[in-house]
Amino acid sequence: MSIELSNIRKAFKANTVLADVSLSIAKGETLVLFGPSGAGKTVLLRLIAGVIEPDAGQIRVNGRDMAGVEPEDRGIGMAFQNFALFPHMDAFANIAAPLTARRQSKSVMKETVEKVARLLKIDHVLHHKPKELSNGQKQRTALARALSAAPSILLLDDPLRNVDAKLRFEMRLELPRLLKDQNATVIYVTQDYKEAMALGHRIAVMTAHGIQQVGTPEEIYLTPANTDIARLFGDPVINLLDVRPEWQGGQVVAMVSDRPVRLLDQYTSQIGRDCILGLRPESLHFVAEGSPGAIPVEIETETPLNEKTVTLALTLRGREIMISRPAGTPGPASGQAHIALNAASAVLFDRATGQRIAPVRHSMNEAVA
Amino acid sequence: MTTENPQLRLKNVDKYYGPINGGVYAVQSISMDVPKGEIIALLGSSGCGKTSTLRMVAGFEAVSAGSIELAGKPVHMLAPVKRNVAMAFEGYSLYPTVSVRDNIAFALKASRLADADVARRVGHVAEMLEITDILDRFPNFISGGQQQRASLARALVRDADLHLLDEPMGQLEPQLRTLLRGRIKHYIKERGLTAILVTHDQTEANALADRIAVMEGGILQQYASSTEIKLRPANLFTGTFVGEPPMNVFPATASASVGEVTFDLSGGLYLRYPEAAFDSAVRQMVLTRQHVVIGVRPYAVHRSAQGAAAQVVANQWLGDQSHIAASFAGKTIVLVEHDRAALSEGQSIHIQINLEDLHVFDPATGAALAHGHALAA
Repeated sequence: MSIELSNIRKAFKANTVLADVSLSIAKGETLVLFGPSGAGKTVLLRLIAGVIEPDAGQIRVNGRDMAGVEPEDRGIGMAFQNFALFPHMDAFANIAAPLTARRQSKSVMKETVEKVARLLKIDHVLHHKPKELSNGQKQRTALARALSAAPSILLLDDPLRNVDAKLRFEMRLELPRLLKDQNATVIYVTQDYKEAMALGHRIAVMTAHGIQQVGTPEEIYLTPANTDIARLFGDPVINLLDVRPEWQGGQVVAMVSDRPVRLLDQYTSQIGRDCILGLRPESLHFVAEGSPGAIPVEIETETPLNEKTVTLALTLRGREIMISRPAGTPGPASGQAHIALNAASAVLFDRATGQRIAPVRHSMNEAVA
Repeated sequence: MTTENPQLRLKNVDKYYGPINGGVYAVQSISMDVPKGEIIALLGSSGCGKTSTLRMVAGFEAVSAGSIELAGKPVHMLAPVKRNVAMAFEGYSLYPTVSVRDNIAFALKASRLADADVARRVGHVAEMLEITDILDRFPNFISGGQQQRASLARALVRDADLHLLDEPMGQLEPQLRTLLRGRIKHYIKERGLTAILVTHDQTEANALADRIAVMEGGILQQYASSTEIKLRPANLFTGTFVGEPPMNVFPATASASVGEVTFDLSGGLYLRYPEAAFDSAVRQMVLTRQHVVIGVRPYAVHRSAQGAAAQVVANQWLGDQSHIAASFAGKTIVLVEHDRAALSEGQSIHIQINLEDLHVFDPATGAALAHGHALAA
């Protein structure tokens, strides 16, 4: 089922949590709500679930206005952060609860519960009471309960938050398949950008100022709407350098480490303006001195990071810059080195507003990068 | 590992809680040497014994047995303040009644360093940790992440025989972590400090430490550089614990025929290698055992037309890496590629694992038997 939110407003006393939120989610889509705590992500989920009502605006499910519709009549399944398991019932009974309510046969119920428990790797603790479960297991039990009900809309509030790193990784790989089998429309809340990119067909980036950008993982990562979003995605974080593009030898360039670095021609409009140059660490690479576009740097230190090697270096003007490359590939570990970048992967932002500057095509033959 | 004149030496250290019969070992028989100027990480999940070890080094816990030597002198009988150890501990909090600046400067002032030198050093460490703007605030009026950085600054600014850092970056926002790790490492190395870092986060351990002590169940599982642990994990525990995404492991049966050594995985899949590619001792070992567990790291799983068949179940692009899961030999195998992989669910791929990337473990004890061509030491 599709979900349409228009101009939602919600305040708790003087505290406006959602000022004017509009968002649509297509049938069968997984939309990730990503952002720091305090952005109002959980409030938005609760509004859709019907646990609380908006002060203004409309929530429509498959075109039908949900105002006044009770939570249990909305056909929505939820797994929230605070588990909300029945303490007197074991994990099996908790997961089976929605099926019991629907009077399904014992054998169907057993099969459904065991299947979902196996997928979430809690089949060995099905006869434990919630207090005997670890937080990660409780969270997966709550998730299993939401899945076993096979709702057409599923709201998942950071369901992997308390799960240890190894299991979290496994679940991240398996969840999309699980969700696809459910054929449900999913809203998934997380603060982990990798989870957001891995699971979302689209990502809505939300901060205390509302929804900042909605797009595919590719759009968010490669063309972030502003420097805040650019910083929230990617590890190590994107390099952001203050620059003022200039015109040199028929090219748009920015000075980095006292060397002209070529930018896309489509940034001509930014010449002489205060900008921020965004360079992803993995888009920078080491080159030999004297190669075209080589920028001199002084290497400070090298640190391994998840099958990558991250180099922290200083430009001639003492600005920090991080470069990452696949682990095991050669690169200098200390001293002087030279780096180069690919003009198409550089992102330019307005320094005053932090907003991304879209490259402007000035010829019909030229593709916009 | 033993070192000539180590800065810190733990010798057969035990931490035992409870009655003599029926108590438990939090730490059992740890021996390790930390060379001067190195950064060591104690890595493990909660309850592995890493914090008990750190607390014994700091002097907050007595050793039940064994000895601890610092800069050549036994210290395990000394009170914490007599050990000349600088600490940034959770719960070893900032003095609430003085400013962040005075907290950081405290030990330097006590050592009667000239005011100008104190100011310079405090300024430098504060700039490195991005807390310059809160130096005149009081600890209760700054965020948890800022408190943590202030506490770290207070430890790092000191000259001490040893710096102990307990989960030093747990509260920091992720965007700052990678950058601060780089700066802290540079700072420690530049000043030649010796540091022990306790963490459950392998990313932090890998990034900062010269050597990682992997602990589990109170026992030191492996003490080596992160490269060594990745290339030659001592056992199945370290093999699957260190490395992100985790190592792929499969039970296998080894056999030999017509110049080949074959690992029979389940589901009719085989990995075949020319007999001559094996070191004879390795070949002998796998063939006499037959039943083994093989492991391969995700980045060492390659796609190749000649490989064994697998079917893609997920392909997740994370901006700088693609994580691909494929059903393989009745389980899931994970591949990491550094470029964006054009693969969709259900697609057939062929997987090749080079012999040099193969780890062989004993299924009963978990001990490593061979890495690549060579027998495990």
